[in-house]
Amino acid sequence: MNEQQKKNNINIKPFIEVRSVSFSYKGKDENAGRTLQNVSFFVNKGERIAILGHNGSGKSTLVKILGGIFFPDEGEYFIDGVEINDIDFHSLRKKIGMVFQDPENQIVAAMVEDDVAFAPENQGLPSDEIQNRVDIALTETNMLHKRDASVSALSGGEKQRIALAGALAADVQCLILDEPTAMLDPKGRLTVEKVLRRLHHDGMTMIQVTHQINAENFDDIQRVIVLSKGEIKWTGTTHEFWDMSESLGFNLPDEFKIRRYCRDHDIHFPFCPSFTSVSPLCQQVDISPQEGRLVTCSNTNSLSTCGEGDRETVEGSPNIKFKIENLSFKYEENHYALKNINAEFFSNQWLSIIGRTGSGKSTLVQHLNALFKIQEGKIFFDGENLPQKGEELQTLRQRVGLVFQHPEDQLFSSTVKEELAFAPKNAGFKNSELDEAVLYGLECAGLDKDFLNRSPIALSGGERRLVAIASVMSAKPECVILDEPLAGLDASYQKKILTMLETLRDKGKTIITITHDLDMALNYSDRILILRNSEQIELGKPGEILEELMEVLEPESWPDVLRISNEIRKTNQDFPLLYNYQDFISCISQI
Amino acid sequence: MYFTNINLGQYIPTNSWIHKLDPRAKLFSLLIVISCIFPAENFIQIFLWLGVLAVVVKISKISWKILLKSSKPVFFLIAFTFVFNIIAGYFEDNFSLAIYRAFFTSARLFVLMLFAVILPLTTAPLELADGLDSLLRPLSKIGFPSHECSMMIGMALRFIPLLMQETDKIIRAQLSRGARLDQGNLFQRTKAFLPVLIPLFVIIFRRAEEIAIAMEARGYDGGEGRTRRKPLVWNFNDTLIILIAGLTTGILFV
Repeated sequence: MNEQQKKNNINIKPFIEVRSVSFSYKGKDENAGRTLQNVSFFVNKGERIAILGHNGSGKSTLVKILGGIFFPDEGEYFIDGVEINDIDFHSLRKKIGMVFQDPENQIVAAMVEDDVAFAPENQGLPSDEIQNRVDIALTETNMLHKRDASVSALSGGEKQRIALAGALAADVQCLILDEPTAMLDPKGRLTVEKVLRRLHHDGMTMIQVTHQINAENFDDIQRVIVLSKGEIKWTGTTHEFWDMSESLGFNLPDEFKIRRYCRDHDIHFPFCPSFTSVSPLCQQVDISPQEGRLVTCSNTNSLSTCGEGDRETVEGSPNIKFKIENLSFKYEENHYALKNINAEFFSNQWLSIIGRTGSGKSTLVQHLNALFKIQEGKIFFDGENLPQKGEELQTLRQRVGLVFQHPEDQLFSSTVKEELAFAPKNAGFKNSELDEAVLYGLECAGLDKDFLNRSPIALSGGERRLVAIASVMSAKPECVILDEPLAGLDASYQKKILTMLETLRDKGKTIITITHDLDMALNYSDRILILRNSEQIELGKPGEILEELMEVLEPESWPDVLRISNEIRKTNQDFPLLYNYQDFISCISQI
Repeated sequence: MYFTNINLGQYIPTNSWIHKLDPRAKLFSLLIVISCIFPAENFIQIFLWLGVLAVVVKISKISWKILLKSSKPVFFLIAFTFVFNIIAGYFEDNFSLAIYRAFFTSARLFVLMLFAVILPLTTAPLELADGLDSLLRPLSKIGFPSHECSMMIGMALRFIPLLMQETDKIIRAQLSRGARLDQGNLFQRTKAFLPVLIPLFVIIFRRAEEIAIAMEARGYDGGEGRTRRKPLVWNFNDTLIILIAGLTTGILFV
């Protein structure tokens, strides 16, 4: 009975309603340069919607308004039928919970239970009720087994689930999620998405703000709102978004592109991806195993060739840049971070290093510019022993550039010019040589000269990333190592960085990337090195190492195309393993 | 690692008898013990205190290895004291006495510091902060921000390991860009550290801003009206430990 009444209420009034909201950081009177302009939308109780926007679209500001941190300059914002200005602080916090991108910045206590208890403690509840809330929240986020753990001992995905539990413990009815999985590795991302999905199925209202839709949650989201330059550009159901995404400037995950292609070309798929087996959308497109035309391969020969989309590599024998022999490293006794690595890295080539978190990837690359000193084994750079100290070490660091993850965090100068001059100055460049090096760095990153006198702090996130990479390139290194260069960037900046790396590679540089992004590794790099538990598993061309890759990494982190082609192979062994969307389409369209 | 292997007295939950004591009782007992080690005059007393320490470590179920590892930063202080004493002794007539004193002072400091390190190892940061809050509460009547103070300590304990990691990463990144952090005189070295310090401060400020928003989102509105998941409860054992501490000190003093 009660359920029925609730359902009736849903139809009457939305849980969240935003009416013509405008906001400017400069104050109410400023009309020009508003961050949000006339934004209106609603969210029903129990609905899960996504607000999509590129960097700088005003979505972070919208998050803060929805969460009641900022208040609109103009317009109204109703929560459960009450205008936000009429809701007192503590009742507001019981209605709306927030989860942000970086779990570290949301966890306030050093121990798990102490942190989750923070919100109910603020509500002034009695101790046993607080403990009860903590238990429930930890159960809902699958973190009960870590209740006595120290926060610093948790993985990224676990930390984010603690942040989520912290919000749930306030007993909220609606969650505002600001890119909750953007900083996590594939496994962490999946565990968080699973929890979110279940919470939604249990009736939680959710607004997820993000710059790109991902395969894990796409089926679960009911409506999409696209925000661009502070205004709402488009709203519609997720299903409608399938057809509109490209024209709105967003890429669909490959799995959805494939499903769309199959729908449009009337191909019925003999499987349903494991991710989406519970989703209603899945049934709508009808990819049930029993009926429809099965994807079969009548012409095996043509199929086995269509997968060989290996990019043509530069002709001529490439030089061996690094030769690693029996390299081992341990932080403590009996705890190897690297075990017996043997590899050759070439100039003119792009190498990707792949492995789970903690497999030794970053320890390996930090040997290449001697941030870690060699304990066992040898490394040759251009045929000579890798220097470990003194002036030769300085020269090595000029020749081998290392760009850490989120390199924009390391900028310190007041102008871009000074920032770019730092590395070449340390390498001994002077006067005109130095000026020229700065311009070289700028050019590598595809930035124009206007940037030179600007302050790095005042730039956008994507621009800061480019400046940070330019500040390493300005020393004119022969080899560039990048740790997750695309992490947290929107599609347009990702494209810029990929093009830049390809250009550098074609100019003869050695490019080495460490990444969880298999799409980038498989489609862009020439060779892939796979590490597992500090050991080298395989080193080879993308097309040749797929099976090892699938063995080492969990299926959730496989590229969509690989996962789907592997799924097809279970019923049809002639189908090739693929990782590229175009190859996949040409393969199935041959049938 | 350049920076991260320093363990600044992080809580080790072994759930021993000592872990279960009220943080205020532990703070009090520590105060009593420390105030009596300071005036210790000979090695016999130091050795007896070392014996007491061994008993405490045994009860706390914390291994000596972890205890000593957590005390690493303290060893610099002890080494400094030792060297300073020797140098000071060089200008005196009786050099052998000075050396004896250097050894004695360092040994005393060593025992004292180990006692102090046991407190954060056996007390969860939040409990420690709550204990301090409760002890400082009377001062809030004369305007001392006791809640804010204990909140700050709790947050500091939470974020120190993270900031260590950040510092390590920034140092590595700047070394990769050819920074020379370990050359030149003191002034040059300090200046060379700016590329590390500036990004660190930027990160700290950005984090602080985001944390403030996250705390507001979870309904934090200052200490007013806040309750506790685990309110501090004074048990018989807490009175007992203070009595034991007092008694031990009394015996060792005589």
